[in-house]
Order: sequence, then C-alpha cells, then structure tokens
Amino acid sequence: MAMMMRSRSAALAVADIDVDSTSVPTYPHLVRPVPAARAAHAVKVYGSGETAVRALDGVDLEFARGGFTAIMGPSGSGKSTLLHCLAGLDTLTSGTIHIGDTALGTLRERQLTRLRRDRIGFIFQAFNLLPTLTAAENITLPLALAGRRPDQGWYDKVVDVVGLRDRLNHRPSELSGGQQQRVAAARALVSQPEIIFADEPTGNLDSKAGGELLAFMRRAVDAFDQTIVMVTHDPVAASYADRIVFLADGRVVDEMLDPTAERAIDHMKLLGE
Amino acid sequence: MRRLVRGALAHTTRLIGTALAVALAVTLVSGTFILTDTIDGAFHKASADTAESSDLVIRSTALFAAQGTSLPEREPVPESLVSQIAAIPGVKAVWTAIQGYAELVDKQGNAIAPKGLPTVGGSWAPSDSLVAGKAPSPGEVAIDIDTARQYGLQLGDKIKVLFSGDSQEFTIGGLLRKAGDVIASTKAIFDAATAQKVLGAAGQVDAIPVQAEAGTSPQALRSRINAVLPARYEAVTSAQVAKEAAESWTKAVGFLPTALMLFAAVALLVGAFIICNTFSILVSQRARELALLQALGAGRAQLIGSVLFEAVAVGLVGSAAGVLLGAGAARGLLVAFHHLGFELPGPAAAFHLRTAVVSVAVGVVVTVLAAFPAALRATRVAPIGGLGALDGSAGRGSARRRLVVGLATTGAGLALVLDGVLGGPGRAVVVVAVGAAALLVGLAALIPLVARPAARMIGAPLVRVFGQPAFLGRENAMRSPRRTASTAAALMIGIGLIGVVSVLAASMKASATQTVDDSLRADFVLTSTGVAGAAGGVPPAVVDRLSHTPAVARVSQILGGQWGQDGRTQTLLAVDPAAVTTMHQVDPASEAAVRRLDDAGVLVRDTTAERYGWKVGDKVPMTFARTGTRQMRLEGTFASNAVRTDYIISLGAYAANYAQQLALEVDVTLAPGLAPADGRAAITAALADYPVVKIMDHTEVVRAQEQQVDRLLVPVTALLALSVAIALLGIANTIALSIHERTRELGLLRAIGMARKQLRSMIRSEAAIIACLGASLGVGIALFFGWALVSSMRHVGVTELVFPYTQLLGLAALATAAGMVAGMLPARRAASLAVLDAISSDK
Repeated sequence: MAMMMRSRSAALAVADIDVDSTSVPTYPHLVRPVPAARAAHAVKVYGSGETAVRALDGVDLEFARGGFTAIMGPSGSGKSTLLHCLAGLDTLTSGTIHIGDTALGTLRERQLTRLRRDRIGFIFQAFNLLPTLTAAENITLPLALAGRRPDQGWYDKVVDVVGLRDRLNHRPSELSGGQQQRVAAARALVSQPEIIFADEPTGNLDSKAGGELLAFMRRAVDAFDQTIVMVTHDPVAASYADRIVFLADGRVVDEMLDPTAERAIDHMKLLGE
Repeated sequence: MRRLVRGALAHTTRLIGTALAVALAVTLVSGTFILTDTIDGAFHKASADTAESSDLVIRSTALFAAQGTSLPEREPVPESLVSQIAAIPGVKAVWTAIQGYAELVDKQGNAIAPKGLPTVGGSWAPSDSLVAGKAPSPGEVAIDIDTARQYGLQLGDKIKVLFSGDSQEFTIGGLLRKAGDVIASTKAIFDAATAQKVLGAAGQVDAIPVQAEAGTSPQALRSRINAVLPARYEAVTSAQVAKEAAESWTKAVGFLPTALMLFAAVALLVGAFIICNTFSILVSQRARELALLQALGAGRAQLIGSVLFEAVAVGLVGSAAGVLLGAGAARGLLVAFHHLGFELPGPAAAFHLRTAVVSVAVGVVVTVLAAFPAALRATRVAPIGGLGALDGSAGRGSARRRLVVGLATTGAGLALVLDGVLGGPGRAVVVVAVGAAALLVGLAALIPLVARPAARMIGAPLVRVFGQPAFLGRENAMRSPRRTASTAAALMIGIGLIGVVSVLAASMKASATQTVDDSLRADFVLTSTGVAGAAGGVPPAVVDRLSHTPAVARVSQILGGQWGQDGRTQTLLAVDPAAVTTMHQVDPASEAAVRRLDDAGVLVRDTTAERYGWKVGDKVPMTFARTGTRQMRLEGTFASNAVRTDYIISLGAYAANYAQQLALEVDVTLAPGLAPADGRAAITAALADYPVVKIMDHTEVVRAQEQQVDRLLVPVTALLALSVAIALLGIANTIALSIHERTRELGLLRAIGMARKQLRSMIRSEAAIIACLGASLGVGIALFFGWALVSSMRHVGVTELVFPYTQLLGLAALATAAGMVAGMLPARRAASLAVLDAISSDK
C-alpha cells in the first residue's frame, strides 16, 4: 500500500533538468526549501603532482528532503568518494558539503562524529553489524552511543516494517545476509536521521533478499518521509529510487527521474559500462 | 620455505609485545646467573686475598664446617706450637692468627656496624697493607681506611672497641687498605699479643700461618709439619683454606640462586601463557593464508615450520634482549648492594658465556614450546575457507574435553596440595610444588569455561558507570573466552603468588604478635643492633653486667649455633634451663623437659624425635666444629611452635662445644614493682658502654619481627611484580592483536558515530575486565595457597592464619587499574585509525 503513496513533493520540485550536467538544477519556487544535503563545486584529489587523481571534479548536487536518490556510474567514476564525502567520512580537497544547514568543512572531528551519530544513517555493503551484539542491540547502537533511549513507538514501527520482530535477540551470525542488511537499515532509521547513505546495500545479497531490502528502503521514504542517497551499480536497485544521478570521471553527467531498470541499463551503456 | 619465512616476518610488529615478554622473563634467568657468578667470584677473591701471604695454615681439625660465619668455629691451637713449627726446616716465617668479635664505636658513642653488617677483629698479618701509619703496637689499633673516612677518624684518634669481654680504648695507629673482604664491612687489627688478650685466650691462637722458604714446596712442607703435629691439629695449604672459606660462603647464600631461579621459572610460565596466546591469535588471523598454502600443497611439516620459525625468531630476539636487560639488572643490584655497605671485590659483574648461552636457550625453548599448540592448530585449518574453526570459540566437544582434563588436573593438584598440608611435616616439598603447579594449570584450563559469565559479572559495574562503550568492551571480552582466559590466567599466576606472599606475611606478623602476647614473660629483650648470627650478637659481658644491676631480677640468654648431622647442617639454640621458661612460657610438658636439661643433654622437637625414632635416654650424635662428634643424651622433647629450632642444648653444653659466645638474645625481668620506664632507664645506664645492644619491650619485639618479615617478603614481592608486569604486557598485546582483527568493526563504530573517547573507553574497559578477571582469580588462589602454606608452616612458628583482605582487594584493584592502563596504548592506536581506511580494510 505504501508503495502507492509515493510522496514525491520534493522530487517534483525539480521542474526542469538542465542538460548541462555541471550546472545546479534550478527551482522555480520563490522560497527554496533547504535540501537534506548538497555538494557545491566538490573536488577531491588523491595523490599529488603527476600521479594526482581527481576522484571528484567539481560536483554540484542537491538532495531534497524526502527523496530517494541513486548514484550510478562506472567503477572509478567517483560515486563512492562522493558518498563518503557527503557522509562526513572523507574530506573534500575543495568545495563544500552541507548536511541541512551545516557545512561539513567547518566541523572538527568530534563534531563530525556527533553529526554522523545524530543526523546521518548508514547502510554499508557488508559488515554492518557488530558480531557481539544482538539484532536489537545493533539497531539501537547509535542511540546508545548518544546515551539516548529509543522512542519506543518509532522503534516498534521500524522493527515491524523490517519484519525482524522474531529475530531481535539473535546475533548477526544467526541471521541471513538479507536479514543482516535489514537490521542495518533498521539501525539507520531508528535514530530518525536527516539523511541515510547507503553504499551498495544489496551488493552481497541475492535478488530476492535485495528486493526485500529495497522495498523496505522505498517504504521508509514513502511512509516515513525519509531521505536516502544510495550508491549502486545495479540498475534494478537504482530503479527503486525517485531519481538517478549518473557520475563519470568525477563529474555528474546525467540525471534521470522516475527511472526504470531498462532505462537505467541503457543509460549506463551510454556511459560505457 | 623462503615464502613461508617471508609470510612470518610480515607480522614483526605484532610480535614485539611477545618478544618483550620473553625478554622480561629471560632477564631474571640471566640476571640470576650474573649475580651468582659475581658473588661467587667475590667470595673466591676475598678468600684468596686473605690467604695470599702464607703458604700453609696450621689449625685444629674440624669434622664439621659451619656455613656463612667469619668467626672461628674451631678449637684454638696452643701458641706453644709456634716455636716447634719455626724449627722445622723449610719454614721461612711463622706467626699467629687470631680473630674475634671487635666492634668499633664512633665519636658519638654509637657502634659502627654500617647497615647492620658485622665487624671483624683480628691480629696483624704480614699480608695486611697500610695506607698510612704503621702496624699496630700494644695500645693501638689499625682500622680500614673506608670506615676511617666515613666516620671522620684519623691517625692518633682515640677509639673505643667493644669485645666479648670488657670494652677498651685504643689509639688508631694505622689505616688499612681495604682488602677484598666481603664479610666484614669494618676491620679492627691489633698486634698479636693484644689480639690474644681481647679476642682469644692466653696461650691460644686460632691458627698458625706458615710461609715456606723459597725452593720448598708447600705440599712437601705440609707433610713435614703434619708428621710432627699432635693428633688434633693439621697443616693445610692456604689455597685449601681459601677454597673452604669460599665454599662455605657460597653454600650459605646457596638458597639465593635457587630462589631467584624459582622466580625466573614463574616469569617464564607467565611468559609462556602470553606466547601461547599470541601465536594462537596469529595463527587464527593467518587462517586464510594457511588454508591457501595448504591448498597449494604445503605439507604439515612446512606449516608447523612456518609457525615455529616465527617462534624461534621471537625467542632469539627476546632472549638476547633479556640477557642484556639481565646484565643491567644485575649491575643495578650490585650498585644497590654497594649502597647497603655490602662491597663485592673483583670484577663489577661477572658475565660468562654460559650465562648468554643458557639464557637464550631457555628463552627459545620456552617460546617454541609455548607456540607449539598454535603450530599444530595451523595444520588443522581446512584447505578452503577454514576461518570459522580457528576463531577461538571452540566447539562443544572441545569444551567437554577441556572440562574433563581441567577438572582432572585441578583435582590431582588439589589432592597433592591437601595431602601435603594435612599430612603434616615431612611431606616432600617437591610433591606439594608439583601439586600447586598442576592446580594452576588445571585452573587455567578451566577458566575459558567460566570466562564468559565471569566477564559479564565483572563488567556489570563498569557498564553502569561508563555506559555503552563499557558494554561493548565487555561484549568484546566475552566473545573469545579462551583468549580472555589465557590472558587472565597469566595475571592470575602473578597476582596469586603476590597474594600468597601477603597472606604469609600477615600470618607471620600475627603469629609473632601472638607468640609475644602468649609466651613472652620477660620485660625486656636485648639483641645486637647488627645482624644476629654471623658475627654479631650480645657480648657475654652484658649478661654479667645485668646480673649485677639491682633493677634486674633475672637474666637469661639464648645463643644459636650450627652443628652437623650426617653431613647436613642443623641449627640449635642454647638456653639457661633454670631461667628460660620464666622468660618464655611454654606448655607444661616442654617446660618440665627444659628443667631436666643438663650439660650432656639435648631436647628435640617431638615430631623430629619421632621421625628419627629417638626415645628419651637415647644418644643423639651431634657433630660440632670445635669439638667433633658428641653423643648427647635425649633429655626430653618439646612441642612449642614458638621455638624456631628442633634442637635445644644448655648454656654449659654450648660453652663446651662452641668458640664464639655471643648471644642471639638476652631476656630480662625487672625487679618487682619497678615501672617499665625506670627499668629501661636502669638497663640503659648499666649498658652505656655497650652501644651495640638494643633494648626492646614487647611492642618493640613485635615491631622488630614484623620488620624482619618485611625485609624478607618485600624483595620477593618485587620479584613477583615482574611476572605481573609480563602479564600486563600480555593484556596489552592480546588487545592490540584483537584490535587488528577488528579493524573493520572499529571503522563501522566510528562511522555510525562512536567518538574517539568512547572507542578508547571501550578498549580500556575490555582490558580492565580481563585484568580484573585475572586478579580476582589470583586473589582466590592466594586465599587457598595462603591457607595451604601457612597451615604447613605451623611447626616453624607460623601459628596464626590471617587473610589481609584489604590488602588483597587493594592488590586486585591495583591490577585492574594497571590492566586499564595497559589497554591505553592499543586504545590510542585504535582511536587514531582513519575511519574510511578501517571500513574498507579486509580485516
């Protein structure tokens, strides 16, 4: 049911798509809502001199609240680097990243940590969970680190949506790969972050488990108005998003709204993958 | 093979902690060798120096050589022999040697017994060499230059000297070069006639040194002299005398190397736990690599070899460092000896090749043995992806086997220890020691089974205080029970032994207090300020003086001596049968036996008499150095645990069989109605010219005994602390290795918002929990072994069992805190990991 109630307000706000991939999308509204995250002139250079690699070469992007964005691109296109920089796990060589109103570049290490803990959710490709903790303990870990108790109503809702009620006291080694990723998703959601970053969340899952996880992420956006940014190279996974951003050689080369898997595949072919 | 070696070398940095543990353990081994060799060499040199001037020495024969004493324990030689010897052809020079108790008094009237070491008085010998002045003539004394400098004494100064008899005043006529004399820290040398008067007896000397004419061999001259000597006297070469003296001293301190080696063994055992743990972790971390090697066709022997090669390398490096550390430690100890006034002549520290070879061999063998189980496990990795089996959480079958083996070993050890304790004295110490070792190993095997719940319990208060980080740390401590257990077991051993020592110390102190309270009836006990035994003691004149003091109602002295029993050295006490029981109350039966004691009799401890099957009236053969073997009549037995020997003779028997007559203690009761303070004042006044005598009331006696206990137990604790240090190193090491394994996990935690501070707190908590587990187990062990040890020492006067709970809890708390500190280094390293690198690490 939730699938049908796609909340598209934010995504629809992008009225027009400029063909020039380097320009900032324009908004027709007089009052621009603050996006959940944005990158401006983001440049990341690894190494120096002759061997320098420009992983990000001037990326300008905004992620509106309540949107589900997929970032695609061939290997080495800079999509993981972009995600890491957006999430405050890595720093830019130049340019700015904002989470809400907060410019990450101005934050100290301790403030960055707190930002990740309180305002960002993570789903990694693998190794998302602490093997010593039960599913329930893993889900509430960021809250526990913040010394906060989870909002019981919200916690119950999340647990039920992920369908983990009967696995809560199991340790990760007793869970399937799909269940583990769903626990990770629940953990990302339970602290009600402003934005969730997912790095190839279905990369290690079979298509059924992957489908379940993606459906859950979709529901989080639709039902709970969550904002998700997901890096993937799987067009089927990307098709669950509202919008796909294509990256190549550290630049945003294209965008696609209301994507389907077929269109995404075609697009990726154009990018030479 | 080269490939395997290279693989092994890749872990170098991870093995530093292990090498350090080996180094610390080997330090004690090599340090013990160096110290023993140095002391040995010093004794030999000292004895050789003393014997340098003469070729032969004529002395009375002795059937028994006392150990560790500088005073003559032989019958004197008649001075008349001198002229007889001088007439023998081939004799170039002959003189007399007399030694005895002579203590110098400084300008303030205090006895000069620096740091409690005894003073030796003697007669002038041609080998004595002077820095200033001349050989002493009557009325003069030559003293050693060091003492003179230290106390501001100069040629021509008047100085008072204490003897067994009355003290006298002398003029300092000469300053002696300090010969290599280990024994006496100060020297007082007189001319032969004076020495005979103040140290010996008229017409008698202790020995007659002889110098051979050039061209006459000492051996030839010896036979010539022996041919004319009366039966009870003998001529021996000076070399022989020097050798005997050195051997006597070496024997007297013979317990030292053994004791030190025991501590080294403990340190090695603790080190072995660390090594075993490290290699087991390394093998499980290398599981993937080992599986690959096996899949590629590496044989069993090659896999074992690759692990053992690493062990040999670590053992070699660690041991080599340990040998150097040992040399440094021995040197430090020698410096400490120097400051204690115990000067060792000869080379500063004797370093023999044997020290290096044996130390390194021991270090390498222990390392390889400890690494062997891990090496064996390396071959059991399934060729493809055998990761799960090696992560330390062993299967159910292994747990049951562990339970059975652990319980069996613990049970056997427990049985042996209990048999040793409850079976009474006479049980072989070795059996009890083996039992104790078995008990420790058995417990160590069982710890993994309880590590998880134990860590949960121990961590609970930490979690309450430090919250989530401590919770995560506790989970980490619980995740690999075997790893946690063997890390904790190492600490358990060190803390356990320190705990035993503190139980023993508390019990010994309490026993001393109890004995004084229960049985000391004397008002004051007088002892020498110097070290009792070797050459210090209360001069006989003191007893004489006190018996003429009106304030004193009764005086009784107790002397101590050594004697030989079938080649073994035994001790005895000599008492005044009429007076001693009024000073020291004993049970009625023992008291009756003491009252029966005459000068031809001996009292024997009941258990000892039983062991030898002696009945009252039997003859007990006792060999005295001075008088040979005497058949002493067994007059009775005693049971009192307050008596610190198994044999008691009368003062008369002592005087007949021993040369020196210094008392271990003199007991005094005051005249009725006299206040203690007045009594003390009266005694002090009567003994004003005997500054060597210390007057103690009951409280002071207790305090003196407590100090004696501390003197013994403080160094023991210090030596055991090294084992604890190794165990703490082990904690740091295990955690550092675990962190390496958990890099990705740490990255994840940081990514989802764990602050550096929280990360450090998590790792410190894990360290603290492991340390607390080890320390708690150690305290448990200390309680049991403390009980066992104290129970088995009842017959040597340790009658009270006291558990110093506060001290033990403090010890455990200290160890836990130290464990937390040990975790700080790996914690800091973990906190400095770059989050992104950690997440994308393949570990």
